[in-house]
Amino acid sequence: MIWHIIKRELFDHLNSLRFILTVVILSALMVTNAVVHLRTHPKRVRNYSEKVTQSANELKSRTELYSLARKGPGDLNKRPSSLSFIADGGDAYLPKNTSNGETWSKSGQGGEVKSNWWLKYGTVNPDATDLSPYATKIDWVFIITYLLSFIPLLFTFDALSGEREQGTLRLCLANPISRSVLLIGKFLGTLITVLIPFVFAVLLNLAVISVDNWTQLSAADWGRLGLILLIAASYAGIFVGLGLMVSAGTREPRVSLVVLLLIWVGTVIFMPSTLGTLSTKWMPPVQTMDQFRDARKAALDQISDDYGDRMRAIKEKKNANLPSLSELQKLYETDPEAAMAQAEKFRTAWEAEGDEELALKAELIKEDVEIRERLNRERLDAQVAQVQRARTVTRLSPAAIVQYALESMAGTGFNRHLQYLEHVHQHTKQFRQFIVETDRADIQSLHLIGVSKGMSQKPVASEAIPKFEDKITFSDTFNTATLDLLLLVLLLGVFISGAFLIFVRSEV
Amino acid sequence: MLRNLIRQELLSHLMSARFLAAVIITLLLVVANAVVLLEDYERRLMKYSQQENTHRQKAQEAKTYSMLNLSVERPPNPLSLFSAGLDKRLGSTFDIYYGRVPMISDGSARSLDNTFLNLFSKIDLVLIFQVVLSLMALLFAYDAIAGDWESGTLRLVISHPVRRGSILFAKYIGAMACLLLPVLMSLLMVLILLSSTGSIQLDGEDFLRIGGIVLTTTIYLSAFYLIGLLISATTRRTATSLMLCMFLWVALVLVYPNWSRFTITPVGDTRAIHSSANQQIEQIWEEVDREERAFLANSPLEGKPRKFNLDVQSNESFSSGGHVSRRYGMNMKLGNRSEPIVPHVQKYHATMGALYIRSAEQIALVRKQTLDSISLRESIWHERLMKLSPASLYTFATSAWAGTDLEGMFDFVQAAQGYRRTVIDYFHDKDAFGSRQWFASDKGAVDWWDLPQFRFDRTDVWENATRALPELFLLLLINLVLFTATFLIFTKIEV
Repeated sequence: MIWHIIKRELFDHLNSLRFILTVVILSALMVTNAVVHLRTHPKRVRNYSEKVTQSANELKSRTELYSLARKGPGDLNKRPSSLSFIADGGDAYLPKNTSNGETWSKSGQGGEVKSNWWLKYGTVNPDATDLSPYATKIDWVFIITYLLSFIPLLFTFDALSGEREQGTLRLCLANPISRSVLLIGKFLGTLITVLIPFVFAVLLNLAVISVDNWTQLSAADWGRLGLILLIAASYAGIFVGLGLMVSAGTREPRVSLVVLLLIWVGTVIFMPSTLGTLSTKWMPPVQTMDQFRDARKAALDQISDDYGDRMRAIKEKKNANLPSLSELQKLYETDPEAAMAQAEKFRTAWEAEGDEELALKAELIKEDVEIRERLNRERLDAQVAQVQRARTVTRLSPAAIVQYALESMAGTGFNRHLQYLEHVHQHTKQFRQFIVETDRADIQSLHLIGVSKGMSQKPVASEAIPKFEDKITFSDTFNTATLDLLLLVLLLGVFISGAFLIFVRSEV
Repeated sequence: MLRNLIRQELLSHLMSARFLAAVIITLLLVVANAVVLLEDYERRLMKYSQQENTHRQKAQEAKTYSMLNLSVERPPNPLSLFSAGLDKRLGSTFDIYYGRVPMISDGSARSLDNTFLNLFSKIDLVLIFQVVLSLMALLFAYDAIAGDWESGTLRLVISHPVRRGSILFAKYIGAMACLLLPVLMSLLMVLILLSSTGSIQLDGEDFLRIGGIVLTTTIYLSAFYLIGLLISATTRRTATSLMLCMFLWVALVLVYPNWSRFTITPVGDTRAIHSSANQQIEQIWEEVDREERAFLANSPLEGKPRKFNLDVQSNESFSSGGHVSRRYGMNMKLGNRSEPIVPHVQKYHATMGALYIRSAEQIALVRKQTLDSISLRESIWHERLMKLSPASLYTFATSAWAGTDLEGMFDFVQAAQGYRRTVIDYFHDKDAFGSRQWFASDKGAVDWWDLPQFRFDRTDVWENATRALPELFLLLLINLVLFTATFLIFTKIEV
């Protein structure tokens, strides 16, 4: 019997104008999406591989262990996802690499000190210079969140209230059909009707994309595509359920349409952005760039002063036997030449680098790098915490849930960026460890990392230097995606049972 | 008779569930978002004054003329609440110094604390009207003629001695009044909210600007209502007309504005333009270097430029050599031995100052050309393409009223450029470039008491009106065309 109802619903819908319009709009959008992807993706991949080879070559040219410590591993690039047409994930707003921190050098007592490499996170703010009007990218997320919610409402707003008005509902229920069977039949019928054009458009999209050989889809990618369809289906199902629920509760289709559209506008269009802005209101504030720089400068000045004091103490202890400045001046009046010789000795003594001085310098460099990286990390963590909170709050809207789920499926978006940063941190650790271990293997070295004279002078084999390769792994993104999927299924259940409860109690 | 018809239309709309729903949802959305936006504005205002303070402090800290560190900050526009436009996006801090003419692309967003938050899309009050009320306009219109035709009331009405034009007109007036009611009510709520918090000070001109926004909203909603009416008159079946209206709405409001921006890229290869600009700039720098060498050849100064063979006891300095500007600052303490060459050093700095000012102006011309032929052209093209949709026309017109459009941003850049000239004039008055205080503060630091202050006033409302005029005119034209088409079809329709 249920099969009968589904079939009737399907045939009803397939002949309607809305079905044709749905097919047209979905296919048009999906084809646009594919064409834009074909045009932009090769450039992205090329840029990435150029940058990777560039930093690999730079790394190869560093054969000295000290230059590795001083110049570091170079830029660490983020690998672009080949599935970015599914979810753009705000690609333009996320930095594509980390870079070398600014260098400094300092001369004075104890000779010159030069900075070592430290990790600097990239920042991007394309908005600051973009004069064009704001627009959202048309990716699968756009198509699914906006259209796969709007279209189900157009198919369901008159499903029950329309039939009730015409009296066909009474006729239908006069047959030996339970209300739940009728409802489920209508639900499945509408869902399938909505999914047919969607799947058609998706296939069209993939057909266009497979023309080009920059985007190679692996078996795992196809698996992910299946999951994406599942997510899209349950999202559309939520709105079919919502439509049936409101339709069951109202007498006139006109009223149910207005109510549905207004709910849709609220949850799909306005909730994600309003909630995003709202949630950061109660977050601890993050320092602005200017404030951050001032704070860092204060911390760095302190260790620099400390270094100066200690260096002076070392020098004074060492050079206690040399004449003081006033004595030199006195000597200059009587015997200028001897005084000049003394002064020369004085100067070399102050500038000489003993082990003690080298150790102090190594300590300064280490502290400098540590402070810079720690403060950077703290600021980044505060920023990330804000974004995470905002994302949690926006999950109240099913549109946001779908967006995040699709981003983790496609390997784009904020979580993917965090994954990349995690890789960067691991690599930095590994890189530093490599320097320490190589240095330890050389018995002639003083093992003072960060200063040229304190480190191993042996050439480093370029193959041995650890290389950074950013891999998109899906094992951890799957976990977050399953959470989102469960939330969607939960919402689906809520709306279907809501529709059922209202329909059962309503008069025909 | 006409009055009767209008009254009947009005009453039937006012009693309907859709009107109630429209009012409730608009009020809810507007008030909820206004609270959020107000909070956001207050925070931006606070950051603005913080930044202003730091800028002022930094300007006072300088001991020599060359160390002067001036920046100006674009104040948040109070009307960005209504139409955010570019106000929140573009960089708002501009460094002012003689060696670079500030351009719109030089603005940096240093007052931002978390750029990742750009991931969340921004909202303004105009967006609510744009999305919700256009939808409502179509919902009011889709069955206006088709519904009456289906139920037979149209035949009944026409059998009375009424002209068809008056029927159409009555329907239009009735629906427009019902659509404007939620707009005015929600605006009133926002104004009450604003006056109760007091953080936004609106003056008389701002009220005129808000009036302009309301006017634009009216014309925009009327365009959508007429689209619905036209569809309703041509299809004669409510079900068909509804579906056409809904899909057209999705296409015009949701899809097209986003679609056109990323699908059509009007500016082709920009590398050629960039490289030729870079070459020109390099030539300008070569010219500067040549003149510097020529000066040094004729002068008794020796040694590294700027340090020369001065007897420097202590020096605090910075220098930055970008592609588009060079800049240096120093604060020296000189020993007695250097006194004889100090006048020559002063002459050197005077020459360099004049050179840098001149090169800055030449480079600004080159940069303006690049800007015009790349980013500006691109943005103008995007705007033009988007204007095919009335929804985008509405966005542009309202941001022009609010002063958050591109022109409004250029106003500020112009003010910043003017301020740079004022500062240079001030330097000239004080003969700063050729003074000892340019590079050394040992004979007394510079007193900044009469340094000119930066002031920025938004343009007057008439300027805003002329900027909004083209879009308004286009919207009116759309209205006119649609109304005539509907009228013609409706008069020929068989009942």
